[in-house]
Amino acid sequence: MSLPELSLHGLERPDSLGSVCERLAERAARGEKTVLLAGGTDWFVERHVAPATDGSEAELVLDVSRLPELRGISASGDTLWIGAATTYLELRRHPVVAARVPLLPAMSKDVGAVQIQARGTLGGNLATASPAADGVGALAALDATVHLLSVRGPRSIAISDYFTGYKRSVRAADEVITGFTVQMPGEGSFQYWRKVGTRLAQAISKVALAGVAEVSDGQVTRLGLGMVSVAPTTAFLPTVRALALRRPLDRIADSALDAATQADVSPIDDVRSTGDYRRHVSGALVREFFRTLRSR
Amino acid sequence: MSNVGTSVPRTDGPSKVVGTAKYVDDLSMPGMLHGATLRSPVARGILKRIVKDPAFDWTGITFVDATDVPVNVVALIQDDQPVLASHEIRHRYEPLALIACDDALRLARAARHVTFEIEPLPAIFDPRASFERREIVAPPDNVFGRYRITKGDAEAALASCEVVVSGTYSVHHQEQLYIEPQGVIAWFDERGAHVHGSIQCPYYVQKGVKKTFVLTESDVDVVQTVTGGGFGGKEEYPTVISLHALLLAKKSRRPVKMIYDRQEDIEATTKRHPAEIGIVTGCDRDGTLRAISIHVLMDGGAYVTLTPVVLSRGILHAAGAYRWEHVLAEAVAVATNTPPNGAFRGFGAPQTIWAVERHLDKVARQLGMDPLVLKSNNVLRVGDTTATSQTLKESVGIGECIEKARTASDWDRKRALGPVVQGRKARGIGACVFMHGAGFTGSGERRLKGRVALDLLLGGRVRIRTASTDIGQGTETVFSQIAADALGLPMSQVEFLQPSTARVPDSGPTVASRTVMVVGSIVEAAARELKERIDAEQAATGLDRRRAMDALVFRAMGTAEHVYDTPRDLEWDDATYRGDAYPVYGWGCDIAEVEVDLDTFETKVLGFWAAADVGKAIHPTHCKGQIEGGTLQAIGWALHEQIVWKDGAILNGRMTNYIVPTSLDAPPFTTLLVEAPYSRGPGGGAKGIGELPMDGGAPAIAAAIEHATGISMDNLPCLPEDLFERARKGRAA
Amino acid sequence: MIVRLEVNGERRLVDLPPLTRLLDALRGPLGLTGTKEGCGEGECGSCTVLLDGDPVNACLVATAQCEGRSVTTVEGLGALDGRARETGGLSLLQAAFVTEGGAQCGICTPGMLIAAEALLRETVDGANRKPTDTEIREAVAGNICRCTGYQRIVDSIAQAAALRRRVSPADWVRENLPFAKAEGTRGLL
Ligand SMILES: Cc1cc2nc3c(=O)[nH]c(=O)nc-3n(C[C@H](O)[C@H](O)[C@H](O)COP(=O)(O)OP(=O)(O)OC[C@H]3O[C@@H](n4cnc5c(N)ncnc54)[C@H](O)[C@@H]3O)c2cc1C
Ligand code: FES
Ligand code: FES
Repeated sequence: MSLPELSLHGLERPDSLGSVCERLAERAARGEKTVLLAGGTDWFVERHVAPATDGSEAELVLDVSRLPELRGISASGDTLWIGAATTYLELRRHPVVAARVPLLPAMSKDVGAVQIQARGTLGGNLATASPAADGVGALAALDATVHLLSVRGPRSIAISDYFTGYKRSVRAADEVITGFTVQMPGEGSFQYWRKVGTRLAQAISKVALAGVAEVSDGQVTRLGLGMVSVAPTTAFLPTVRALALRRPLDRIADSALDAATQADVSPIDDVRSTGDYRRHVSGALVREFFRTLRSR
Repeated sequence: MSNVGTSVPRTDGPSKVVGTAKYVDDLSMPGMLHGATLRSPVARGILKRIVKDPAFDWTGITFVDATDVPVNVVALIQDDQPVLASHEIRHRYEPLALIACDDALRLARAARHVTFEIEPLPAIFDPRASFERREIVAPPDNVFGRYRITKGDAEAALASCEVVVSGTYSVHHQEQLYIEPQGVIAWFDERGAHVHGSIQCPYYVQKGVKKTFVLTESDVDVVQTVTGGGFGGKEEYPTVISLHALLLAKKSRRPVKMIYDRQEDIEATTKRHPAEIGIVTGCDRDGTLRAISIHVLMDGGAYVTLTPVVLSRGILHAAGAYRWEHVLAEAVAVATNTPPNGAFRGFGAPQTIWAVERHLDKVARQLGMDPLVLKSNNVLRVGDTTATSQTLKESVGIGECIEKARTASDWDRKRALGPVVQGRKARGIGACVFMHGAGFTGSGERRLKGRVALDLLLGGRVRIRTASTDIGQGTETVFSQIAADALGLPMSQVEFLQPSTARVPDSGPTVASRTVMVVGSIVEAAARELKERIDAEQAATGLDRRRAMDALVFRAMGTAEHVYDTPRDLEWDDATYRGDAYPVYGWGCDIAEVEVDLDTFETKVLGFWAAADVGKAIHPTHCKGQIEGGTLQAIGWALHEQIVWKDGAILNGRMTNYIVPTSLDAPPFTTLLVEAPYSRGPGGGAKGIGELPMDGGAPAIAAAIEHATGISMDNLPCLPEDLFERARKGRAA
Repeated sequence: MIVRLEVNGERRLVDLPPLTRLLDALRGPLGLTGTKEGCGEGECGSCTVLLDGDPVNACLVATAQCEGRSVTTVEGLGALDGRARETGGLSLLQAAFVTEGGAQCGICTPGMLIAAEALLRETVDGANRKPTDTEIREAVAGNICRCTGYQRIVDSIAQAAALRRRVSPADWVRENLPFAKAEGTRGLL
């Protein structure tokens, strides 16, 4: 077993973000395919499943895994910046993240196992735009902003505006995801992560729910939810959010939550699970989120 | 000096932990080509034509199809499986052609330039449909095997029993998923055919090569390289890949290496046989079991391979570890258009034990009894007769197994407590009682006449030559312990020769939990004979031990070859399926404690207590390792593993979606060894235990789930989706 | 592409297509076949190596991405102990797998050992404490073993953690592994 087709791909190591953008722009203009290689945990698997068939159509690989501009985590005030090439292991090890956004290390711990966490990046997770992306579920709950860059300049968009369909997004072929910003939840906020996977590690989510809530005087003042593997894209659960936001917590009935959840998800049968089961679990996780929130 | 009974460091351990152990993919040969298999894209059809794209440059690529095969059969029980299909295609992954090239990239490209013209035929995937002959997919009648066991008069007895319970149970496919995929390197030279590879049974491969290439024994050398797990999956399949590699080697006149990609391995190689089992039992109101009637329908897949033997072991275990006055057991295996099912640890027994154990849990529920009490009250003891009317004469340690597991797990308290529900989680505990026949069925060993040779080497060393392979279970270490003790030598003086059909005698295949018990006893006998020779030499010459040993070597007296001395008092009738089905049985009691999430139906195994009667634990650590490893495979079969099929194709042939347990899914194991010695076992009474641990896990887990949730699963698997569906149906009803 | 990297403490240089998997570079030109391939998709963990100290799946790393970085494979575990000769090339962790039943067929073992080594460096070496059972299970959760049921792997790692930095590997191996021979007896061909 080896993957001989990998030899068909060229690789370049641009030394700055600027040159990455230029290379992407040149090649996109010529209609040539280019791929950014970060941790490689998605790309190598995709090539194993569907190897390139000949040199002319094999995409050129730009290694961005060590570009300083894409790396690092920093906090300024309540805003947290996470570079796109930040790995799950880095998220798990960062003290500010652990203290202020424990949702992220909790999610990271559930991604694959340590080998995947050491390589896989949040940028790669979003770029693949799979509805099963755990990291994106967490970013959705945090209402993160996605930062993109191309030769045409930078742009920032709300993560809820990022997806246009199954594995499709607003990102243009010549754009790089540079990172994410997140408004860190306040002290005493509630953060929730639960993944229901095919097993306890090395598992793709059948359903996972990330949640962030702030409550003051019994009213929900901030609410973010991101659900994984229940719709063509990461689910933001708008109906549930609308139902609960700025509502007194004790007036949010389970039956209403169930109805709202069911309105927000459209899961399917696949080799990992069934649509019916996913529907059921979606409801259960949303209920658990609110149950735990109420009992705090 | 005693090595037997102590957990000496494993002899092949050091090379494995430093990375020098050579598995087949770590080897290469000068001028070696890489080989690949081109397979059918349909489950059933007639191969009309193979088209090699004329636009592709075929230089340097060796191409083989059925016309290149001297005798186109894979020799096994029946010669029904072709090495390469020439006309009829019976499953979705049937090999149709082979290619080889020294450049892996060109090989991959060439594979895309071969197409097959096939006239599709209707396929059958449901064994019931096959049994009803809705289509004949394996002439004459789709039937691969049939057995019937009778004892007393079950039908009449059932009619008069106080409590009659019936049920239908089913089990699904299971992939062995050894972590080293199938692979071989093969070549021809002036001495004949050579195969080196990941192989459980080198003599099986030799038999296949002889047949297909019309060679004699001395023309074929099959060598086992360090093997990364087998579990039955490398019992019969390596013959196929070896024949393929040899065909390419013959045509190209180069050594050829074939290593399966994981997906190819999952899709094309054998899996555990699915089965459907109907049971009716009768008992007294106090729980005394009287009569059982069992019907088994097994799915053999596309070709016979080992199916009749698997079916046989299945039906022989179908009445469980219990006393019944009346037994009627009927079993049929049929063909379907899926890849041939084959050997997998347990070999038919886990399938039927699942059914009978689930059934007895149901009986206990109806009687309002603790299931472990019901089972324990009816379990076989010395002097009782089994379903085949075999009287058990010795080595029945089940009573102690049950007691040990029950005490260690705190069964009585936990069971009486009922399900413990905390928040949205419910805990429960379940048990399984089982036995597993050790060694070949009936007259198997007598026919086989397994042999082993021991050689004295200069310098006071001894070498063991056997065809029993170490595929991880520790054969090499255990045989060395047995030989060292019988000879009175330290372990460091004992060597184990790499199995090679040119250099080791045919000890029989490494299967059926027979290696330690049967082959180990031949090793012991040969070692004893050598010791007698050494003692005699010393007595006659007055030489010290080392010199006496050397003297024997000089006089060519240093080799002892022994044949298995089949116990003479065993009686077995193949026609009536009555008599001593196995020389002795391993016994086990498994207790599982689980926590089921009532929202997501995920089952977490909190603890697992496995008590096993192994006769004598020659190497306690290995013994426990076998039990835990086998048990986790059984837990995986119950809770995680599932092959997803569509039109005969496997949709989840990758490790990302064929789910086996990780270290976090595995429970902490408490493994309790019981030793009820077998008078003919080596080392003071060892019995076979390789397969035993596969039998108990699934029923114990299902029983625990039922205790926790009230959801009673008759069919495997018990994935969260299955429990959810079952609960939903329960609520609806 | 020429890639310079440090493998098991030695500076090495390979000339390969840049996207060649690190796994193939190790097993091929670098001659280190101790690292195994079970799936090629990051699932089984048998190809685990340390890349700058962190465990990664060598089947998912491009050789070119290792420029200037350090790689540790199973062959380096004993050697890096600095006393390779006295221990027969075995580290305590490796020795514990032999005595405690952590290795059966052995195909998962190299990757398992590497994942365990990363844990011991973090806990025992880094924080001067023994890892808990849960931490051990988490550390090897990306390494599938089909033989052992994991119990004895967990036990082997726990034992190595207890002994690490407390006993001399050389003495311990001599006492507990009387016939340790690093070279396999079966390296035919
Ligand atoms: C065994 C295994 C287990 C896994 N488990 C999980 C899991 O539990 N949960 C989960 O969500 N995922 C899981 N994954 C998937 C994968 O690890 C993640 O999606 C990971 O975050 C991908 O990141 P990467 O850096 O490795 O991506 P890469 O493979 O490097 O890249 C993936 C894609 O993203 C693009 N890309 C990368 N960086 C950028 C950028 N900065 N800008 C624009 N495009 C970019 C690449 O061009 C490529 O198309 C698993 C994968 C494996 C192999
Ligand atoms: S071979 Fe790399 S994880 Fe399986
Ligand atoms: S020891 Fe065989 S897979 Fe782990």
